[in-house]
Amino acid sequence: MSLVARHLEANGIPTVIMGCAKDIVEHCGVPRFLYSDFPLGNSAGKPFDAASQAETLELALRVLETAPGPRTTVQSPQRWSEDASWKTEYSNVSKLTPEDIAERRKEFDAVKETIKVIQGKA
Amino acid sequence: MAFAAEHDVPIPYMQKTREYYLALGYGNPYRWAHYVDVPFAPPARPLAASRVALISTAAPYRPDRGDQGPGARYNAAAKFYEVYTDSTATMPDVRISHVGYDRTNYKGDDPRTWFPLIALQDAVKTGRIGALTPRFYGAPTNRSQKVTTQTDAPEILRLVREDAADVAVLVPT
Repeated sequence: MSLVARHLEANGIPTVIMGCAKDIVEHCGVPRFLYSDFPLGNSAGKPFDAASQAETLELALRVLETAPGPRTTVQSPQRWSEDASWKTEYSNVSKLTPEDIAERRKEFDAVKETIKVIQGKA
Repeated sequence: MAFAAEHDVPIPYMQKTREYYLALGYGNPYRWAHYVDVPFAPPARPLAASRVALISTAAPYRPDRGDQGPGARYNAAAKFYEVYTDSTATMPDVRISHVGYDRTNYKGDDPRTWFPLIALQDAVKTGRIGALTPRFYGAPTNRSQKVTTQTDAPEILRLVREDAADVAVLVPT
């Protein structure tokens, strides 16, 4: 998605990205980025929280209209929860058993196969 | 004022992903797109007079493609490979089972967290933005940077120009 933002911007259309993966978006390099420190999937605000969603969009719009230059990142002041322990749960390989690893590997290979089949048909 | 906890920082997804696939026994880790130069186009007019395009990585729900949530496991069969559009008049049924969202911490049960159409419609009603384009644009997440830069991004540019968009809001998942 960062690549799409760059392409639009290079062709004269100002963009803002709303996202939760700070390192990936900034690594690519985008014009404007509203970062929410939430679990992936919540780029536009917290679930079932209209105020959070409205505030998130408003902040993105302000970044769009006021960014002084490219690579402008603003971090939303909203918190997912008081306790930040959810961050340590994501893709924690130290918690995987050898059985987990075998299972995940099998699953990933199946996914790759599915993609190949679909692309072959496309 | 006390310091925050040591782990209370943005999650390093690139590092975590590399560690994960190495632990699974795969070499040749994914290389994320990376540039030094970044383009910048200042807005030509106030947002209240601008037409806004919404671009999303969410996938249209297709009943024949297996469980697409909420709470579904990663579902590669639900992926799409070509840019699509649909109306911004009503909230569409768009899902995220085809991407790696945080299934541990989020059930994925409120589409408004990944597709802010209702918030954007509200912004039109209050006059915060001038208008939405009549269509939104679906961007494929097929992990081929070549396809994204050479096919998908130019196609999205063509469509948003056709719809006379002034600015774009992009929401990856």
